[in-house]
Amino acid sequence: MTETAIEVNGITKTFRLSASAGSLKTRLIDLIKKNRGDTFTALDNVTFSVKRGETLGLIGANGAGKSTLLSIIAGTMYPTRGTVKCSGSISSLLELGAGFHPDLTGRENVLLYGAIMGIPRETMLKKFDNIVDFSGLEKFIDQPVRFYSSGMYVRLGFAVAVQVDPDILLIDEVLAVGDSDFQRKCLDKMNEFRRKGKSMLIISHDMHTIKSISDRIAYLDHGRLKGIGDPDSIAARYGADSLYGKTASIRREWGTGEARLTGIKILGEDGAGCGTATRGRVLAVRISWEAANRIDTPTFGFSISDDSGRTIFGSNTEIDGADIPFIQGQGTVTLYVDTSSLASGNYMLSFSLHSRDHKINYHRLDNHTPVCLDDETHFDGICRLPTKWEIR
Amino acid sequence: MQEAIKKIIQRRELVCILVERNLKIRYKNSVLGFLWSLLTPLAMILIYAVFAKILKFNNGQPDYLQFLVTGIVVWQFTSGCLNDSINAIVGNTNLVKKVSFPRIILPVSTALADAVNFLLTFIILVIYLAFTGTLSISANTLWIFAAAAMHLVLGIGLSCLCSVSNVFFRDTQHIVGLGSMAWFFLSPVFYGTELQTGVLSGINFLPQGIIYLNPMTGILSAYRAGLMGLSAFPAGMNPSWMLLSAGVCAVVFLLGMFAVRSGDKYFGDIL
Repeated sequence: MTETAIEVNGITKTFRLSASAGSLKTRLIDLIKKNRGDTFTALDNVTFSVKRGETLGLIGANGAGKSTLLSIIAGTMYPTRGTVKCSGSISSLLELGAGFHPDLTGRENVLLYGAIMGIPRETMLKKFDNIVDFSGLEKFIDQPVRFYSSGMYVRLGFAVAVQVDPDILLIDEVLAVGDSDFQRKCLDKMNEFRRKGKSMLIISHDMHTIKSISDRIAYLDHGRLKGIGDPDSIAARYGADSLYGKTASIRREWGTGEARLTGIKILGEDGAGCGTATRGRVLAVRISWEAANRIDTPTFGFSISDDSGRTIFGSNTEIDGADIPFIQGQGTVTLYVDTSSLASGNYMLSFSLHSRDHKINYHRLDNHTPVCLDDETHFDGICRLPTKWEIR
Repeated sequence: MQEAIKKIIQRRELVCILVERNLKIRYKNSVLGFLWSLLTPLAMILIYAVFAKILKFNNGQPDYLQFLVTGIVVWQFTSGCLNDSINAIVGNTNLVKKVSFPRIILPVSTALADAVNFLLTFIILVIYLAFTGTLSISANTLWIFAAAAMHLVLGIGLSCLCSVSNVFFRDTQHIVGLGSMAWFFLSPVFYGTELQTGVLSGINFLPQGIIYLNPMTGILSAYRAGLMGLSAFPAGMNPSWMLLSAGVCAVVFLLGMFAVRSGDKYFGDIL
């Protein structure tokens, strides 16, 4: 037995975009016109390996190539270039209940699925009660599955798939379905697999789950492997990246324009700019402004919101007692925020420059700057409250 | 090819289950269920009997009705393979995209399901022939085995070819529909091989054995020789021409295997 369970070596996968049209006529026309069609690269030179007994999480935005990669490892697709080596039997949960035929009963489908997975019939019959038990479908097992609800379908699919007991298990976002009770059952089963020393490759968009179950996480972005390693840091990187991606679509800039915010820069501890991500307690932001004409009693404001757009906190120079009599020309103000009571995660900063009475908005930058806060001390919830225990 | 056959044998349980599934689904939700595979040939024999009688169409053949029914029953297996295999891969898109298993099993199990059906019909046919006193049992009966072997090899080969072709060109289903009709009339189903050789005798440069290039000519002749004791060859024909039909069956089989093997890589992308 080798130490490596899955070895993915320089996998590239390109799709011909016109190939899907696939009628004889279009093919002939393409052939005559020497039209090879546009190609789309779903995976670009991806290399990594999964050790025996290791669980690797796979994250990335929609269309990053996660499912394609899993299909190639599962053997349902072939790479354009590169090789995949797997040692041991593979079972893939690319889609639960994929092989079920609607007209067959639950019982017939279970046996069919087992045969497709390559399990001998006697073994399957022995496991049959377990499967029915796990799915909780005793009453309906002799009904055609087309009468099943989608939840029942998936439950039966998972129940069969986990009975296969493979060396390598590939799971594609199957936990998104089913109620919380069933999800817990699935997680328990996955942990059981881990304890048994099986290798797993899991795709999920649920960061919390994937961080807790994976030994390492691989991050795919537009077909490229952007990082692989420690779950927390890779997940944080993906979170920050997806926040940047999101910034473009939710960013909004508006105001009268008499005075403008010309630059936002997050400062490192040494006072130099450090991009838009930070580690540490005090966040320092330098805000540059310009005003062609004199503006009396302006107010600079900011707010910080979380991943889901909820405002966590907001303040301005007036509230904080930093009065500015007037601005004219160009200058900067620097904001210091102690973020140590916030949980680690990705946040979004908005900035504003308005009149003291809030009647005139000179310039507002909504959802302008993403920040990734990474605190070493972990706690439950979204913010830290001062706590004290008295013990008698 | 050895590899493909090895895979099929390794996964024979899956093949059995898929054959069972194909047969089950065919008659699922019908009241008479499996009885249909017996009723259909019976009804067919009846219909042809009535019309052959009314039209007084007998091709100068003794026992023409039995001759015709044998031809039709045999042809049904070939056309079943052609028509059912169209969806053998395309109809199982979910399976092909999501689970890895030897793809060859899909068309093979479709052909085998048709073979099971054919076997049932064949039993009815034998009973019918025995009942009408045209069944002959002699050394000639051995022809049945040769015919069945050729037929099965051809059926599996055709299944593989059609199922793969339909993945890449959905036009296949229409072409197969027309093609099988043309093939039906080109094969000695409702006429005898003498008719073919008769037509060919006008063309001097073609050897008469060329009729065996159509594998169904060989297969139909062999079945009729085995069941009805008719001569497998038209008068004056060199029996070794039968090997031509067998050869074509083998070539179709090999082409089918090859098609699945080389198409396999693209199934996941195209479906």
